[in-house]
Amino acid sequence: MELIGFLICFPLIVALLLFVINNNVARKIITIVGGIVIGVASCVLCVTYLGTSGVYFNISSEILDGIAITIDLAITAVVIGFGLKYKNVLALVLAAIQLVLTLVFAFGGVTEGVEVQQGLYVDSLSVLMTFIIGVIGSGICIYALGYMDDHHEHHTDIKDRRSFFFGIMFLFLSAMFLIVFANNMDWLFTAWEVTTLCSFLLIGYDQTEIAIANSFRQIIMNMVGGIAFAVALIYCAAFLGTLSLNQFIAIGQFYSGLVLVPLVCLSLAGMTKAAQMPFHSWLLGAMVAPTPTSALLHSSTMVKAGVFLLVKLAPLYAASFVASTMVILVGGVTFCLCSFLAISQTNAKRVLAYSTIANLGLIVACAGIGTAEAVWAACFLIMFHAAAKSLLFLCVGTAEHHIGSRDIEDMDLLFERMPKLARFMMLGIMVMFIAPFGMLIAKWGVLVSILYASLPNIIFLALLAFGSAATFMFWAKWLGKLSGIAGTQKDIEWACHPSEWFAQGIMVVLCVLGCVLMPLVSDAVVCPYLYSTFGTYGAAISSDNLWIAAICSVFIIVVLFGALNKGTKAKKVDIYLSGVSVDNAERMFRNSLTGSTEATARNWYMDNWFGESRLTMPGNVVSTAIIVLGFAMAILGMFGFVL
Amino acid sequence: MSTALITIIGIIAFAVLAPVLGCLLAGLDRIITAKMQGRVGPPLLQPYYDVRKLIEKDNVSVNSTEGVYITCALVFTIIAGGIFFSGGNFLLCVFVITLSALFFIMAAYSTRSPYAELGAHREIVQVMAYEPMVLFLCVGFYLATGSFNTSSVFYMNQPILFATWGFFIGLVFVLTIKLRKSPFDLSYSHHAHQELVKGITTEMSGKTLAKVEVMHWCENVLFLGWCGIFFVTGNWVSLIVAVLVCVVLYLFEIFIDNNFARVKWQVMLKSAWAVALVAGVINTLVLIML
Repeated sequence: MELIGFLICFPLIVALLLFVINNNVARKIITIVGGIVIGVASCVLCVTYLGTSGVYFNISSEILDGIAITIDLAITAVVIGFGLKYKNVLALVLAAIQLVLTLVFAFGGVTEGVEVQQGLYVDSLSVLMTFIIGVIGSGICIYALGYMDDHHEHHTDIKDRRSFFFGIMFLFLSAMFLIVFANNMDWLFTAWEVTTLCSFLLIGYDQTEIAIANSFRQIIMNMVGGIAFAVALIYCAAFLGTLSLNQFIAIGQFYSGLVLVPLVCLSLAGMTKAAQMPFHSWLLGAMVAPTPTSALLHSSTMVKAGVFLLVKLAPLYAASFVASTMVILVGGVTFCLCSFLAISQTNAKRVLAYSTIANLGLIVACAGIGTAEAVWAACFLIMFHAAAKSLLFLCVGTAEHHIGSRDIEDMDLLFERMPKLARFMMLGIMVMFIAPFGMLIAKWGVLVSILYASLPNIIFLALLAFGSAATFMFWAKWLGKLSGIAGTQKDIEWACHPSEWFAQGIMVVLCVLGCVLMPLVSDAVVCPYLYSTFGTYGAAISSDNLWIAAICSVFIIVVLFGALNKGTKAKKVDIYLSGVSVDNAERMFRNSLTGSTEATARNWYMDNWFGESRLTMPGNVVSTAIIVLGFAMAILGMFGFVL
Repeated sequence: MSTALITIIGIIAFAVLAPVLGCLLAGLDRIITAKMQGRVGPPLLQPYYDVRKLIEKDNVSVNSTEGVYITCALVFTIIAGGIFFSGGNFLLCVFVITLSALFFIMAAYSTRSPYAELGAHREIVQVMAYEPMVLFLCVGFYLATGSFNTSSVFYMNQPILFATWGFFIGLVFVLTIKLRKSPFDLSYSHHAHQELVKGITTEMSGKTLAKVEVMHWCENVLFLGWCGIFFVTGNWVSLIVAVLVCVVLYLFEIFIDNNFARVKWQVMLKSAWAVALVAGVINTLVLIML
């Protein structure tokens, strides 16, 4: 209990200190100490509550509720302020709606007699999330120290507001902790809105025109979700008489018709935050922010809050055909189309963004399926995605500062130009898409969990099959680009910051440990959650097969870091250039005009097939239609029309 | 006996037997192909002589990583085969063979040779073309037997083919891609005169190329095993039927190889995905709904 309070409050104190102190050395010390303390405290909490089946804490006070409402109102006020400053009408309208809803909720009498005794809780899912937020999240904060130094060195035109930047990062962590511990849905909502505001401020950090435009895109889309969340809150308080998440889920499991409206509202809130189509463009737009922001949004915070809520609600989807179908199909369409779209991107950060959206789609769909096996898969997808994706973002960020580009084609020959970084990146990519590493084993779990009779499942199966094929394509060609070796390259990675190596090292260790210890994590963390929620242990994959995968992972990791490029007894020869080479190391050959031409090969991006102009529109239309249909059926259901 | 032990025995057995079988199959392939083209053809063991000669060649290489990648590719092919033939998990087998394909691709990329890279690009597209059907195949197998373990066919009273005809048709279609036979031999071909030099294997020589050949033999045995399993039941006679079907299928592939010109990648991708979608989805619907 104290530990939970500490994890929520301590990042707040660090944030306050960072806001106030504007000195680079002091900031570094505070961030490093703060980050390490949060990381250690998270680990302590994980060990303390390892294997827990859920502990609920009696904590309720009108003062805390009052603070929550005040924060809600303050957030809308800030959004209205920014809306006025940049004359964004849509943001103003949405903020006004949200303001009205918050006022109705607070003073409209709907919460009278509704009291949540148990304000906070810890279960095994919170334990998993705590580890991700505390270790990966604070790792990224430490990485940002070196990165932001370089950022301001490279972009002298951008105003240096680093104290603000780091403060917001820690505020973000605090809000994330509250999200995973709050049983009081009112507090959950407050933390939810804080994360929305924090990412708005982080995306707009550079204050360039495009940064501001994209930050508004983010806040507008997420406020749609926020409004849906507020509607769900009012509905729960007024019609169900409870604001306890635990009770809400318990009611919904037995009376699915009663909770359908708040359930579809919460689904919408979760899907906007998890950047599902048609809301995915905010996460793409967020790429303009400095890389640590992207890493934070993609791995341990923001989008993970969205999928966390949906996974939490999984038992309700299992009981509700309408909500379940809506969520499975939106997730499936998003997974398939965003995997296709990733093929057409040359910008590494955009590839990562599309891959994040696709994987979130998979997690969303798992939540929608709502069985124990599906939730098992979702938990591992969340875990491995957090570790591997943050590693990849940190690597791309560092590479960008040293090779001057984030284009995948420019990462040619990185294997020898930045040997350690290239191997880190290759590990991250492999963990993302290939067996025996974590993500694919989790995906295997997804496949196992959909094999029972249901039409949405068959549609999802088809989307999964084709999306997975595309996943292979876009990762494999990037991996290939990294692995190229030619000529003698100058090693340029000596200039990387130690703080960057430290953070990347943490992510590498997490990826490796995650893959190797997957069977143990399954037994100690994921299965207890399944047992407490579904009453079965329901691991989707038998532990025999998990161990085979773990052994294969060790083998590949040893090869990657130990055996590659160690020199062989083989005689070195030049590559084949049809016998007309001029300079073989540089891949130059004699052309038909007796001049020299360099032989180059670009990867395939297949823009005519998988380009944004071709797929984004249909994806948005289909997913919007699914959501509208879902809402229509939920509202009809409210008036007694049951399908 | 524990599953782990059975898997290990399976892997060792596959490592010994599959190259022998695969080599004979390759020899047969060359003789029949020659007959179809009006030639006499080499002796049955010619593929073995070729590989033995490759092993005796000088150890030369364009970089020091290529050989490591190829060794990994070979090792994982053998593991995949072992998992499949020892009654292990079909999906795991598919994942491990995909991993092997990835290492093969990376070996080509690592050389940074224009010809090898072109082959690697095409190989990636080939994987993307057949992957959906292979996933559907595993699903179909599960729906028919109630398990992903290949050993579960021994408990069946009738071949799973009766329930999974659609998946079988789809598999036979993508088999041509997996066996690297014309018209889908985009990334590298056995017929040297047809290919942009030698595609994905352009820079491989000596022992490395020998490993690729052995890997290819093992792959052929494994993929024919995937086809054969559709005919296996608890009755031992079914094993003979399955082997006969594999032989017939391989002859059919040789026939196609010799009678169709190579297509462009667009045609391959479109047709493979279309077949997977139609065959896979219809058969799944029939299995689940009926």
